[in-house]
Amino acid sequence: MEERTRAYLRGRFRDYYRRTEITPPPEADEREWGFIPWTDGPGTTMVRHRSLLELGDIEDFLERKRPRHVYFSVGRYDDPGAGSMGEKGWRSSDLVFDLDADHLPGVTLGEDSYAEMLAICKDALYRLLDFLEDDFGFSELEIVFSGGRGYHVHVRDDAVLDLERDHRREIVDYVRGIGLEYDHLVDRETVSGLGRKTPTERRTLRIDGGWGRRVHGYFMAFIEELLNLPEDDALERLTAFEGIGEGKAKATLNAARNNREELEAGNVTVHTAVSQLAERFLEEAVERDNAPIDEPVTTDTNRLIRLPGSLHGGSGLAVCRLDRAELEAFDPLADAVPDPFVGHEIAVDVEEGGEVELGGKIRTVEEGPQSLPEYVGIFLMARGRAEKEKE
Amino acid sequence: MQRLHARYPFLEAARETVASETVELATVVERDPAVVERAVERVVASLEDGDTGEPSRDTRTELLSYPVARVLVSAVEENVLVRKYARAEAEEAHDRFRTEFEETVELKSAASSGLTRETLLSEFDLAGDVRAVEGGYRIGVGAYLPLAAGCWGDEWRLVNRALSDGEVPVDETELHALLREAVRARVEEGLPFAVPEEIVDSLEAEVARVREILADLELTREIDTVVPDLFPPCMTALLDDIRKGEHLPHHSRFAITAFLASIGMDTDEIVELYRVNSSFGEEMTRYQTDHIRGETSPTEYSAPSCATMQSYGDCVNMDDLCERISHPMAYYERRLDDADDEEIEDWREAELEEA
Ligand code: SF4
Repeated sequence: MEERTRAYLRGRFRDYYRRTEITPPPEADEREWGFIPWTDGPGTTMVRHRSLLELGDIEDFLERKRPRHVYFSVGRYDDPGAGSMGEKGWRSSDLVFDLDADHLPGVTLGEDSYAEMLAICKDALYRLLDFLEDDFGFSELEIVFSGGRGYHVHVRDDAVLDLERDHRREIVDYVRGIGLEYDHLVDRETVSGLGRKTPTERRTLRIDGGWGRRVHGYFMAFIEELLNLPEDDALERLTAFEGIGEGKAKATLNAARNNREELEAGNVTVHTAVSQLAERFLEEAVERDNAPIDEPVTTDTNRLIRLPGSLHGGSGLAVCRLDRAELEAFDPLADAVPDPFVGHEIAVDVEEGGEVELGGKIRTVEEGPQSLPEYVGIFLMARGRAEKEKE
Repeated sequence: MQRLHARYPFLEAARETVASETVELATVVERDPAVVERAVERVVASLEDGDTGEPSRDTRTELLSYPVARVLVSAVEENVLVRKYARAEAEEAHDRFRTEFEETVELKSAASSGLTRETLLSEFDLAGDVRAVEGGYRIGVGAYLPLAAGCWGDEWRLVNRALSDGEVPVDETELHALLREAVRARVEEGLPFAVPEEIVDSLEAEVARVREILADLELTREIDTVVPDLFPPCMTALLDDIRKGEHLPHHSRFAITAFLASIGMDTDEIVELYRVNSSFGEEMTRYQTDHIRGETSPTEYSAPSCATMQSYGDCVNMDDLCERISHPMAYYERRLDDADDEEIEDWREAELEEA
């Protein structure tokens, strides 16, 4: 990045911060702060272990320093400005989740467009929220568009603040469906056999919560489908499963027809074939419902995370706090474009052209000097794909 | 009150009783040999049998022996001891409160202290997190996770739980196990602390004794010889079951895996030894083994004693040697000692030769 480009971006970041109100996270003065300044070297050095005491009022600070990136810690400390974690004196931490297009299955890097990646990411976000809101019952959620390739969720319910790394890993495994075992989703109860001497074991898939409920959902959807098919087709669907022969297929179909209510209630004892079949939906449930969050972010109780309201120095987009209700309509590539960068054009020299999807438009940018809407120019410069031209 | 405190000395109220009644712990240590003796027993039993030994009949002695035992544990300053001691105190408390909760009002035993589940829950600040529902309880996930972290078995993992609305359903047995973990955390809290010089001096002999026992156990852990032919009958039976592909209840899997880990086998080797059985879950075995060996959890688990094995029905085919030992590890050690060095061929080396 050339000096002229850097000076321009710094100047415009200041203009943005002058005009923008920043709401700091709760207990901002108990947190560690860090930022990456605009430097000319190739490496980026993060300035960290700062407390608000040292930085001063956050809005003043941003206006004065107009850093390239700014972060605060999920952790709260006795002495947030101390130079090492040991000296800081840990008190508690928000629980955070990071969904990043770089790590998402279903995203083909270099092939999917920026908008496509973000759309896949948003789907994953909905799955994550499903866990956080329904299973975990969290209510202090803050959803954030990262300004880059994904979304963050900050959880600040009292119940999670004191959890340590290992406990947080259990939460990670839960939302990712790691370590799930069918055997443990099933309750066993011995019932005295009616008329028979040997008591039998009744096995019930737990449908009152957790992954059991999800597995059951997919299983029942399949049963539903079976019942709507002509007999031959239904049997064919069943025998398509490895290990299910004609006999088992018939038994399963019969169970589905005659014991529908039992199945609805999670009772998988109706026939051994049924239990085996239900088990196969475990994988499907994990594949379809898991939220592929970035594990190290969630388990790290000292993590630094981007400040909502600040600018992402790698895109020139705003890090946006989102209301749950506005999430549906939120289009990151239009709504995260900072207002001050809209409405005028600037001169840039594009080194790496191509398609740019921003501001609700897809435009193909040629290489070479030209005039572009400012937010497109800033995006390309922040990504290192263009340099500032003299106006 | 005294009896309640003597039975559950980790209770906050018990600590207050001690604080108000005792002149000085230093004086007790110096002048009250019965208390010191009982304290030593608590600690020694935690190492040798995983319990806290025979309670003293005198409530005062029993009550005071707990803080003195903590002093002793602190003076020895070994993490293994802290862990084993806390575990034993928790197991003991668990046995006691379980029995007590089961007793009906009319049938209170003489030992009963009137402790209720509600009191215990409040003691650990869990009253707001646990509620009774039909067929069991529901516990808030934030309270569940730290407590379940110390429990062994995949059924404790959150992913396998019917979590909904921020609560994990647990049955009564499970709730009691979680309370046991709360006790353990309480006992472990603050250990080891700095013990004043003069107390260390008067406990010199006791500290030496505990160190010696620890050293012996340390030796045990360094056996590092794997000769399945010399395994105790119980472990041989469990290993056979695994290799036959039988589905073992988790206490049994725990027992055999902890035993194998204690004789020096690492995770890969255990997986290898089990592998004969095609249907065993390699990944689960890895997870469990790492867990038992303390790699994925803060606790290192040791193989259960004969008494525990018996109570789970895992003690089978007892032979003559069994009559003379109280721990499967001791059985194996004796057999190793008795065997000619020539006869001993480590399973791992045999594997190598075959490979
Ligand atoms: S007595 Fe002990 S060593 Fe012998 S079989 Fe029973 S549990 Fe195993």
